[in-house]
Amino acid sequence: MSQPQGTPQRPQTQRQALPQHAVERIQRSRNAQGQRFFTSDLSVKEFLLVRESGFECAGLVMGSSFYHVGYQRSDWSQNQEMTVLTQAMYQARELAMARMEEEAHELGSDGVIGVRLHVNRHSWGEDLIEFVAVGTAIYARDGSPWRAPNGMPFTSDLSGQDFWMLLKSGYRPVSLVMGNCVYHVAHQSLRGWFKSVGVNQEMPNFTQGLYDARELAMERLQYEAQLDGASGVVGTQIHESTHGWDAHVIEFFAVGTSVLPIAMKEAPPAPVLVMTVNE
Amino acid sequence: MSAAAAIHPFTSDLTIDELLLLEDVGFEPLELVLGASYFHIGYQSSAWSQNQELTEMSQMMLLARQTAMADIQRQAYELGADGVLGMRIEIELEGHHAEFSAIGTAVRRRAGDGAKYRDQHGRAFTCDLSGADFWALVRGGFRPVALVHGVCVYHVAHQGLGSWFKTASQNCEMPAFTQALYDARELALSRVQSEAANAGATGGIVGVEVREGHYGWHSHVLEFMAVGTAVSPIVDATHEVHAEARTILSMRDD
Repeated sequence: MSQPQGTPQRPQTQRQALPQHAVERIQRSRNAQGQRFFTSDLSVKEFLLVRESGFECAGLVMGSSFYHVGYQRSDWSQNQEMTVLTQAMYQARELAMARMEEEAHELGSDGVIGVRLHVNRHSWGEDLIEFVAVGTAIYARDGSPWRAPNGMPFTSDLSGQDFWMLLKSGYRPVSLVMGNCVYHVAHQSLRGWFKSVGVNQEMPNFTQGLYDARELAMERLQYEAQLDGASGVVGTQIHESTHGWDAHVIEFFAVGTSVLPIAMKEAPPAPVLVMTVNE
Repeated sequence: MSAAAAIHPFTSDLTIDELLLLEDVGFEPLELVLGASYFHIGYQSSAWSQNQELTEMSQMMLLARQTAMADIQRQAYELGADGVLGMRIEIELEGHHAEFSAIGTAVRRRAGDGAKYRDQHGRAFTCDLSGADFWALVRGGFRPVALVHGVCVYHVAHQGLGSWFKTASQNCEMPAFTQALYDARELALSRVQSEAANAGATGGIVGVEVREGHYGWHSHVLEFMAVGTAVSPIVDATHEVHAEARTILSMRDD
């Protein structure tokens, strides 16, 4: 397993220091008798399914990173990866994730489900992007170990419903994995434009550029999952955004949950066919 | 249908399935209740280069919401309601004047044992749950206690020009900004947690959402508001907890 070319480095500081108010909030999630009181962004249905899977909510966890994205010049007529931007977008997300994991660790939880990664921009500072990771930390009621192989709580972007279904079908989440690629798609030359203006034809240049960028993001996601010792990735989504850059600069962001099989006590339940009367 | 319900038809914004589910757990809708509060939002000065909470603003934004909710509580009391479902609060701003309006559907327990669902002071419960969510929660052995808010209005420091030049072409984290927004969110969250405890909830809070608001203030001033429904377990041996979840294949396309 070799590292795909151009893979952004994970930030070196693995363990993150939490802000004071986060530490206070985590301490206050247990009362004087040591009884837990949770906050969670799970819907009622998710909350009940998590309980039915044998887990309890520990609390809402989050991490944030405000990042300055450096400048990179792109060649007008060239398909190329914008490595500086790729690196920035990746590192900032990793930082936000690492802080969220640290909060989950402090809460004494086994994992985080329903992780969402937001990208915010604020009216001050054009090159500043804020990354926020939010999810709900949960722990097993019977105290069985569920943490990821690296000893930190597992992370996953699965909803409560998906989490329940995943466990029922004999898999466990390991980590939220991601891969990204910021790509500059070459502009078309004037001559090329004249040649193609009246004909139906594929634009090999554009096809190639976007194809390449998606493949790079996917390859990096796959590599992350392999590093985490998982056997596969479920629920992968590829998001596409220009984040307010030049229209020819696009970020492809692949995100999913890596999983490992677990020993099954019983066969997964057979689905029941229903017809809903809802519209 | 009871005689009382036949004489006083109810109004509600519930859908038909929500209504059926509500009936299934022994509740009936009473009336759509509305609450409002008007506030003048003053100005609080803040140091240009300082990350700090604007405490007066935080308190005011919370008080305005609580006033609108108190209005709802009063109506629920007059109606003899045991709770309010689907509560939401909307803010409309015009210059420095803000209108906070709250809306929800008041419900009552049919069996007359609604006191079990009210809070420690005998007030109706409030929640932002739909009829379906309420059904699932009650069947799952929990009851809503109160819709709780945590508010933090925060001023984010401006960055000096010197440090701007240093970072112009580099990828780097901006620790001051990270710290500010991280802190503000955590404050909002820890407040929603303590408000839930004050409301007497012993389970936790579900459906928490942290919203970011600007309301036309200075661009460095942000409101972070955490909102969710505080819940408590139902302590009642006769309460029927729902059957195990099952995997189903819906015949709908989505």
